[in-house]
Amino acid sequence: MKVFAMLALIVISMYAAQTSLLTYLDYNGVSANLMLLLIMSAGFLRGHYFGVALGFCVGLLQDFTSGDFFGCTTFAYMTVGFIFGKFSESVVKDQFLLPVLSAPIAVAIYFFVTTIFIYMLGYPIYILHVAQTILKPLIFYQLIFSLPVHKIVYDFDKFVRESYS
Amino acid sequence: MEKKYKKKKPKSTKKIIAVIAVFAVMFFTIFLAERGKIQMPFVDKTVMVVLSPFQNFFSWAGNQIAFLQRGITEIKYLQKQNKQLREEVELLRAQNLTASEYASENQRLRALLGYKQASVQFDLVAAGVIGRESITWSSVIIINRGTLDGVANNMAVVTEMGLVGHVLEASANTSKVQLILDPRSSVGTLVQRADSRVAGIVEGDINNPTHPRMVNIPKDANVQVEDAVVTSGFGGVYPKGIVVGKIKEIHNDEGGLLKYGVIETSVNFEKLEDVAVIVASREAPPEPLPSILQTHGTETDPHETAEQLKHAQENLQQAQETVQQRQQEQLQQAQEQLQRQSGGETP
Repeated sequence: MKVFAMLALIVISMYAAQTSLLTYLDYNGVSANLMLLLIMSAGFLRGHYFGVALGFCVGLLQDFTSGDFFGCTTFAYMTVGFIFGKFSESVVKDQFLLPVLSAPIAVAIYFFVTTIFIYMLGYPIYILHVAQTILKPLIFYQLIFSLPVHKIVYDFDKFVRESYS
Repeated sequence: MEKKYKKKKPKSTKKIIAVIAVFAVMFFTIFLAERGKIQMPFVDKTVMVVLSPFQNFFSWAGNQIAFLQRGITEIKYLQKQNKQLREEVELLRAQNLTASEYASENQRLRALLGYKQASVQFDLVAAGVIGRESITWSSVIIINRGTLDGVANNMAVVTEMGLVGHVLEASANTSKVQLILDPRSSVGTLVQRADSRVAGIVEGDINNPTHPRMVNIPKDANVQVEDAVVTSGFGGVYPKGIVVGKIKEIHNDEGGLLKYGVIETSVNFEKLEDVAVIVASREAPPEPLPSILQTHGTETDPHETAEQLKHAQENLQQAQETVQQRQQEQLQQAQEQLQRQSGGETP
């Protein structure tokens, strides 16, 4: 229960920081997506079932509060949690370079999934234009924030493992 | 080992089925939600209420950081500015006299234009922006005013520069505002120019998140670059006459019969900090009464009459003062004479 409360506090604080604080550092309206980094790191450290579950919860939180296309973010986050969770067993958990290098891939997966849904919902998208205006700055921000976010998730994971061992 | 594997298999299969089921449910949810068939206002509002204190805190922290950042930047340029300012002070002193003259003229002109009267038709509730999503596919902000402050769904949101959007969903203390940049937003608009008045719909462009488009303009319509675009009042959400922006570019639509204009919004959405929600709007105040027709040969100028009346009142006052003075003098003389007479009788 205590662990869930702590996890909820981390998620809500990071989401509030993403929507309130990081907007001061935006570039043409684009700022870092901490939730994506959180799910990616959690997937790496706790496996794909946890990645999907966290992606589901965080995605719903964002869908409910942001007014975005409902379900799109949830589906994309679940996919990211699943894919990175699958690598959980084959990567060394103590190394910090991999989450940094994986941040652009997480952005690419997130955009790939959402783009498909947006297209299927009937909105025309010019991929190159979107890549230029949104993807480039977002990847830049994700590279900067991936390490601190991974450190938070890593410390939390370590705390949980030590508490239950 | 084989036994172990057999025991684990059903558990693993169940998990895989559960994951696939969740993905499948979410897949269909997206399409149903887009058609408005899934709505959970209670959950939505609860999440907003839980999140709002955190957003308020981080918004406050962000403001402090921004304030500090501005302070540091200002110090950096202080010395350079100081030198420039000394030169400017000399110049400004000379301009000060002229400026005060302009200020009074400006005041008169503003009163003349009825600038204040223009906004009297709206009841506004000021709000601060406490949350905003990074520009992805939608443009929604969160403001720190909700139903307790009189905010309700579908109310228009503005700044002094122009239209921001409308309230998508109002909870107790916060509200979601869909900006006019959102691809799902559509605003009934008009070209403000008197000889044009072409109607169109301004909607967000998913490929150009900072510049919405004015669509449904007939190809032969009288629309030009730099034309101001205002709300038409059609649809009931946005009151008429709120500035949306101006046309930056005009392009032909793919169908060939219509064209669309790219709008440069009057509001700077990247620096949106304070907004106002129009909680009530009414008709604009009535026009001033026209001057009454006067019978030929008996016309009077109201200003001239007022001047004459003022002069007459002044003259009357002067006359009264003169009479009082004379009376006092006569009274004094009579008293002196009386004293002299009484002095002669008693040696």
